[in-house]
Amino acid sequence: MCCSRSVENEYHPEVVPELFDISAIKGMKFFDPHVHMTSRTTDDYQAMADAGVVALIEPAFWLGQPRTGLDSFRDYYSSLIGWERFRSSQFGIKHYCTIGLNSREANNEALAEQVMEILPLFIYKEGVVGVGEIGFDDQTAAEEKYYRLQLDLAKEAGLPVQVHTPHRDKKRGTQRSMDIAVEHGLNPYSVIVDHNNEETVKEVLDRGFWAAFTIYPFTKMGNQRMVEIVKQYGSERIMINSAADWGISDPLAVPKTAALMQQQGISTGDIERVTYRNAITAFAQSGQIDETEFSSTIDQSTKFAGNSILRGGQQPRIDKSSIIIS
Amino acid sequence: MYTYDIDALKQLLGLIMHDNISPDVLAWLMKQGNSNNTAAFHAAFVMMPRKTGRLTISVTPVQITQLNTIRPNFNIEGWTADRLGRVFLLTLADAIDRSHYLKVIESLFRAGEMNELVALYSALPLLAYPESWAMRCAEGIRSNIGNVLEAIMYRNPYPSEQLSADAWNQLVMKAIFTEKEIGLIIGLYERNNAELARILLDHARERGAAGRTVPTELWKLAQQFTEAGLIDKLKQDYQLN
Repeated sequence: MCCSRSVENEYHPEVVPELFDISAIKGMKFFDPHVHMTSRTTDDYQAMADAGVVALIEPAFWLGQPRTGLDSFRDYYSSLIGWERFRSSQFGIKHYCTIGLNSREANNEALAEQVMEILPLFIYKEGVVGVGEIGFDDQTAAEEKYYRLQLDLAKEAGLPVQVHTPHRDKKRGTQRSMDIAVEHGLNPYSVIVDHNNEETVKEVLDRGFWAAFTIYPFTKMGNQRMVEIVKQYGSERIMINSAADWGISDPLAVPKTAALMQQQGISTGDIERVTYRNAITAFAQSGQIDETEFSSTIDQSTKFAGNSILRGGQQPRIDKSSIIIS
Repeated sequence: MYTYDIDALKQLLGLIMHDNISPDVLAWLMKQGNSNNTAAFHAAFVMMPRKTGRLTISVTPVQITQLNTIRPNFNIEGWTADRLGRVFLLTLADAIDRSHYLKVIESLFRAGEMNELVALYSALPLLAYPESWAMRCAEGIRSNIGNVLEAIMYRNPYPSEQLSADAWNQLVMKAIFTEKEIGLIIGLYERNNAELARILLDHARERGAAGRTVPTELWKLAQQFTEAGLIDKLKQDYQLN
């Protein structure tokens, strides 16, 4: 989740940025374990595939404005496991998701009760690799109530939990999220605590949780800071994601950060762990991730003869530099 | 309720499942048919791949013939174990209470992901109250997901048996538009009609005007309801194949 903020204050046109050289990471594979593709265009899918993203996780979140009825939730969850998954497959990217009631909308208790009733219908579906993203936003009593209920649900279903940590009062919110998860009997190794920063990472790792970092301009981590974190803490139980959504964000955050890490002397093994392997290890505890299904090969139950749209194959490429559209 | 011998079919599908999944999974599956416990029935349907795996099933030529005898034109060749498991589960559902039965299965459609929808649409020819699913089938044809369309269009006897003429024509047009293998549609020539021929030829003109091609099946279908010479002239006018 992102929040709005003035962009002008952060823009420094006099500094000429170094260009992202995609060839630096050629041949590397990436797993983006938090990206809201529903809010992105097909151009993003193509760019991600070109940059080596072979699989991703789309956590259920709020859509920028609150939903007013149960059917909107149902259709949203359906779209994550249905249309969005199919759309992604057409670009050769394996699409997983986590399903849950996000913290903001947990505050509408009448609706939250109804959402809780339909969650079991979705969390057991194929390719659902966790309950998420859940946790605290304002840290209200209602948020806590539905966080706790969903932790129980995850435990019962044997699914990892993807925890959103708040923008405001972050450190305390992160601690509370972990305390409550432990109280509900979850193994920290099955809980991915997201949106960490320099202030939260140490405790998250010390307590045995996974520490995810969101590379997101202005409001979350920048990737130069991320390089420093890996230098300091290594790569065990650390993963990075883009959390790209409808805000100013970057679906290439993971490959770009890999390129920056490579440039600044982080070892190939460490880069591979934080941009690919660790996310798989953490979320594969769901039993729903099969690495052999990655890349452009389609899963065993899906036919693709020929290359045309709507066949479960891949989208034809168009030459965007041409003035002719045919 | 059913237009075929449901008990014979359940028995045969049970045997085929037996050949393709482990005994304990089969034992689990056989106990999941109580659709009056909606939540448990839904959960069993959804978690099927976790139980059965997703390998392609093996089925003998004799079994294929037997299936076709019990339920004409019903074909499971090339299906995966989870798809057959789900369809089998639907045949185990209690269909006595019509409105409950329709509701339980309709909710699965409403929350279905791609593989679930493939299984659900594949099951249409086996469901009780066959006339009740025509609208659902027409809705499925509006899908833009290739595998879901193929589950309805390919080797599925339901559409030609139950769809209205308009919905049928939409199915054929959608198949042509999405470049499906038209030859796998059951009842293609039995349900052919003059209105469809008109739509197909309009489509051919539109494609021709755009400098695009059309599949040869289009001409074969249109021919039945078109006066001699018209198609040749159209091909010539639009420089079509």
